[in-house]
Amino acid sequence: MIEARNVIKKYGPVTALDDFTVDIPEGKIGILGPNGAGKSTFVKIALGLIRTTSGSITVLGENLDRNTVDIRRKIGYMPEHDCIPNSMTGVEFLIEMGLVTGMSLQSATQRTHEILGHLLMGEEKYRKIEEYSGGMRQKIKLAQGLIHGPEVIFLDEPTSGLDPKARQEMLETINGLTEVSGTNVLLSTHILQDVETVCDHVIIVNNGKLQMQENVKKLMQRQTDVIQVRIGGSTEDFVKQLKKSGITATSSGRGLHVPYVNDKTFEQIVNSAVKSNCQLYEMERATTTMDNIYLEVVD
Amino acid sequence: MKEKAQVSERFREFKAELTSRPSIVLGMGLRGFLRLLSLKNQWILALVALIWLWTLGFYVLLSTGDYPCENLFGGDSSEDFKRCQPLVYYNDLGLGGVRLFLVTLAAISSSGLIANDMTDKSLHLYLSRPISRMDYLIARSIPVFLLLMCVTALPNLIVYLNQWGEAGLEFDWIKNHKWLLLDILILGSFYSASYSIIGLTFSTAINRESWAAGAFFLFVYGSAIIIEIFYLIMLESGVGDDRILLLSIIHLLDIIGFYIFGTQPFFTAFGIEGIDIADIEVFGVFILIIGSCGIFVNWMISQMEANK
Repeated sequence: MIEARNVIKKYGPVTALDDFTVDIPEGKIGILGPNGAGKSTFVKIALGLIRTTSGSITVLGENLDRNTVDIRRKIGYMPEHDCIPNSMTGVEFLIEMGLVTGMSLQSATQRTHEILGHLLMGEEKYRKIEEYSGGMRQKIKLAQGLIHGPEVIFLDEPTSGLDPKARQEMLETINGLTEVSGTNVLLSTHILQDVETVCDHVIIVNNGKLQMQENVKKLMQRQTDVIQVRIGGSTEDFVKQLKKSGITATSSGRGLHVPYVNDKTFEQIVNSAVKSNCQLYEMERATTTMDNIYLEVVD
Repeated sequence: MKEKAQVSERFREFKAELTSRPSIVLGMGLRGFLRLLSLKNQWILALVALIWLWTLGFYVLLSTGDYPCENLFGGDSSEDFKRCQPLVYYNDLGLGGVRLFLVTLAAISSSGLIANDMTDKSLHLYLSRPISRMDYLIARSIPVFLLLMCVTALPNLIVYLNQWGEAGLEFDWIKNHKWLLLDILILGSFYSASYSIIGLTFSTAINRESWAAGAFFLFVYGSAIIIEIFYLIMLESGVGDDRILLLSIIHLLDIIGFYIFGTQPFFTAFGIEGIDIADIEVFGVFILIIGSCGIFVNWMISQMEANK
């Protein structure tokens, strides 16, 4: 869907994207990274809004060096911040967005009502947008990105500023609308749960570089039950003793991660510590979640 | 259930037939123009009506036969009279007050067009559509352009038709005065386009509608008054330099307006003073101002594209 090759984007002395190379497949893709990682910059480059300092980028088979405007016929975009004119009604706004994309009035009107129907908006669609709740505003913002039936929609922090309930609703709406319209999704966020809920593929970005690209299901499988162990003495001997018991421990920064099988694993850890003359300072059962994986990658 | 499935299928299969970029731009412009003329914009409608009433007054003045147009050129040939009419329209009505309304109309109508998009940040949504930054700017300037054409070219066209009527509605008269028709349209377009570009610049620079309108008005009309007073003092003291008039947008546009009709620019003060400035200076200053406005607006919007 998107191919970026050695993309560099600099804003004065700041490098937002640093030799960024990625192949993004079709489907629902999440770009995950902390604030300032370069996610929004990448989305704006892919949309043709800003140019790269160097490198090339291809979106839906079109090279953006040659065509930055017409490619937007195939793309929908939902910006992060609030950007809806308050003076219009929901219907007026969506029709206007359809017309600005190049749709006929009839087509824009019909599609507007279809989308608003999917959003379960009744009479409120004829009310001024200034009267809408935060969640409704986000839904309208999503709808404007889908009005022309794009092949892919770029969602920039779609749940930003929403309370947990509205956030969950928004994620369900994204899933529902993109499912029913068969649209590919590129979701830029710093919230792991958004990616888990919506995406089937994740790209982790930090400091303008690609850190990791993985299928979300595979990543979830990496979530394991472990025992966090901290010892004094020879870690090497301790690991060898554990191995004799058929347990493979891995290093985890401050200590070791020992896979939890059952409560006997605690006993085996104690025995291995005794046999290797190590002091056992800490032994605590923990779960490696996507959060841990994300933090490991980002750190 | 079947009907619901069909709706979902249609929704899934939907691929919009999208029109060309020029059509999108023209459509945006025309919708903007109609919004300017909506009843919500009472001030704009009032100003248009005021200018048209003033024009009506001008017709009455013309019909009395006392209008001293021929004095401008020191002759009384009917050809001179016809040639000078649109110029006199601007000049005298300007002195009489219509220019005040014209500038006010340009200030009010242009101030919100980009400022509102910047304030509510909908600019990001427009620029994510299949239109370029330049397309967007053209689309936003069309409403002001068309509105100003209604109060510049249109009244002059009515003067033209009035003259045709006086000439007995003969088709030969139209054929012989094609140049006048063309010049009226060029003059109207020139004024309208110039004020649109300057107006959009203020709308971009000051993204609060009322402040942008005020700044536009002060810049265009305020500077004209100051320059005019300064010019008159200089003229009286005998050290005048006509180039000072180039510092006033109104006078600069008027001078080029005279060029459009192929006549010598003049300044009406205690009498009629001819203006002596090299063409290259006039057009140089004009290109500098309009070019700077264009570059500034483009830069401001590119900054918004890159930032949140």
